[in-house]
Amino acid sequence: MTLTAPKTQLPPAPPSGRGGRPGRLTATRRREALTGYLFTAPTIIGFLVFVLGPLVAAIYLSLTKYNILTAPKFVGFDNYARMFRDERLATTYGNTVLYVGAAVVLINGFALLFAVLINQRLPRALTYVFRSAYFFPYLVALVYVSIIWQALFQKDTGILNYYITALGGERIDWLNSSEFSKVSVIIVDTWRNVGFAMLIFVAALQEVPKDMVEAARMDGANEWQVFRRITLPMISQATFFNITITIIGAFQIYESIIVLTRGGPGDASRSVVMYIAEVAFNKFDMGYASAIAVTLFLIIMLVTMVQFRLRKSWVNNE
Amino acid sequence: MSNTTVLPSRPGAGTPGKEKDVPRRRPGPTVGKYISVGLLVLGAIGMIAPFLWMFTTSLRDASQAYDLPPQWLPTELDWSNYADAVSGPVPILKNMFNSAVIAIAVSIGMIITAPMAGYAFAKLEFPGRNSIFVGLLSSLMVPAQVTIIPLFLLMRAFGLLDNPLSLILPGITGALGVFLLRQFFLGLPQEIIDAARMDGATAWQTYRLIALPLAKNAVSTLGVITFLGSWNAYFAPSIFLNSTDTATLPLGLVLMLGPYGAGNVAQVMAATTIAIAPALIVFLVAQRWIIASLTQSAVKG
Repeated sequence: MTLTAPKTQLPPAPPSGRGGRPGRLTATRRREALTGYLFTAPTIIGFLVFVLGPLVAAIYLSLTKYNILTAPKFVGFDNYARMFRDERLATTYGNTVLYVGAAVVLINGFALLFAVLINQRLPRALTYVFRSAYFFPYLVALVYVSIIWQALFQKDTGILNYYITALGGERIDWLNSSEFSKVSVIIVDTWRNVGFAMLIFVAALQEVPKDMVEAARMDGANEWQVFRRITLPMISQATFFNITITIIGAFQIYESIIVLTRGGPGDASRSVVMYIAEVAFNKFDMGYASAIAVTLFLIIMLVTMVQFRLRKSWVNNE
Repeated sequence: MSNTTVLPSRPGAGTPGKEKDVPRRRPGPTVGKYISVGLLVLGAIGMIAPFLWMFTTSLRDASQAYDLPPQWLPTELDWSNYADAVSGPVPILKNMFNSAVIAIAVSIGMIITAPMAGYAFAKLEFPGRNSIFVGLLSSLMVPAQVTIIPLFLLMRAFGLLDNPLSLILPGITGALGVFLLRQFFLGLPQEIIDAARMDGATAWQTYRLIALPLAKNAVSTLGVITFLGSWNAYFAPSIFLNSTDTATLPLGLVLMLGPYGAGNVAQVMAATTIAIAPALIVFLVAQRWIIASLTQSAVKG
């Protein structure tokens, strides 16, 4: 993922080419630059109008009071100050942090476990079936899988509770209790994303040099030592990618909560993103909603930057 | 890029010489192997069971939908829930059509704009090229929630709210596609480009007749990923579209489910089965491409 493009060689001037006048090279160069701008124009315009413009606008709006009906009124950092007094925001941030933490641990933990299991010598067809089964939920819209899980989580009629009571457990109010509504969101998020993370791990595991593992075994290392000292460092690149992706994804959990619990009971399972949407599009408090959104953006950016900073200390770059 | 490295489909496929060292008759599977395969089977059942339940429920009368113990295999093939779901109060066929129009338009736009930009960033020299590219790439870090409010205001100003264009226009360009295609074109030998240029081809001809056909696999992958992303989208549609007639399929299904799952569960599952079908088809057709292209960037770093 290098950002610097290798220097492309300019084609040598055609021996008997078009024009043939002096200064041909600069004309070619200029034509090539023009082509470059034309080729990138749609993308750049899209970027300016639909990403950069809105980003700047969001920052401006966050400094105003704006209810859509009357013009935005500049209020400085009032919206940001207001965030510190907002208990609902604290609750939703608390939930979001829980979702992020759970996603990092559970998704990557299960993904690594299944990846290691799938990566052993198994019949080819079996590997294929397992890979497909684990990956399929990832391709289905979160809304649809949440609709299915909503039915499975029902307290009296749901399958989950049927099996729990059959095993002698108590019925769980998955969707309407303040603890379990969060657990339900976490279960669906883990279930859906584990397959993608697993595939990344599998791809990385296949790049681990077999002779290095053999050599370590020959030297008397047990399986755990091989895993801890060789495999884990060799796949650290994939681990880094997975953790970054799960953090960014979990900060934005939205659809599953809408379908499963609607944020409830009360705000028990509501995420920051849901809260932003509510403040903006139900209460039309655009300035305040923008301030929350900008802060969320900054937090995600900060976490990602810290991740990249820490990267040097544990990611093996060969 | 997708034709340079294909994900080895079985463990050990990357080291061909290795097979010879292994004795042909290996000792029988160990206990550990049985346990690990057992775990994998359990996990796979957990992944597939919800979809199986969805399908069998869609074939049952609503009154038996919640029968316990749950029946995992269809006992009868009663397709009436599908007919009822389609003719019900939520126009899911219309919603499906809306989703398809948006997803197809977005995919077509993306496979036109992204390869052009990717090619320019990889193979053409122009002032500011690298800084523009890095700026573009950084937009991948901007979460949708930050730009959604200004975008909503923008669409409102253009009178595009409740109009599929509000989702199509922002969708037809994007940094991810440019990045994917640039990676592919970087791997394309410069000699091919130079040869075409020396034969007098214009930059456009070189791109259109030489480079683009070679990028067929990468472009198809981009098309599939873009299509699925748009087909599955919920957040932006839920904010830009607000009537049942313009709603996309995910919105229609949430409407059908009703608050707290109060809708007719058998019909909802029938509709969900219909909604999932395209993902299933894409999965069966393009699984290898998707997996290869998704995993590459992560592993190669």
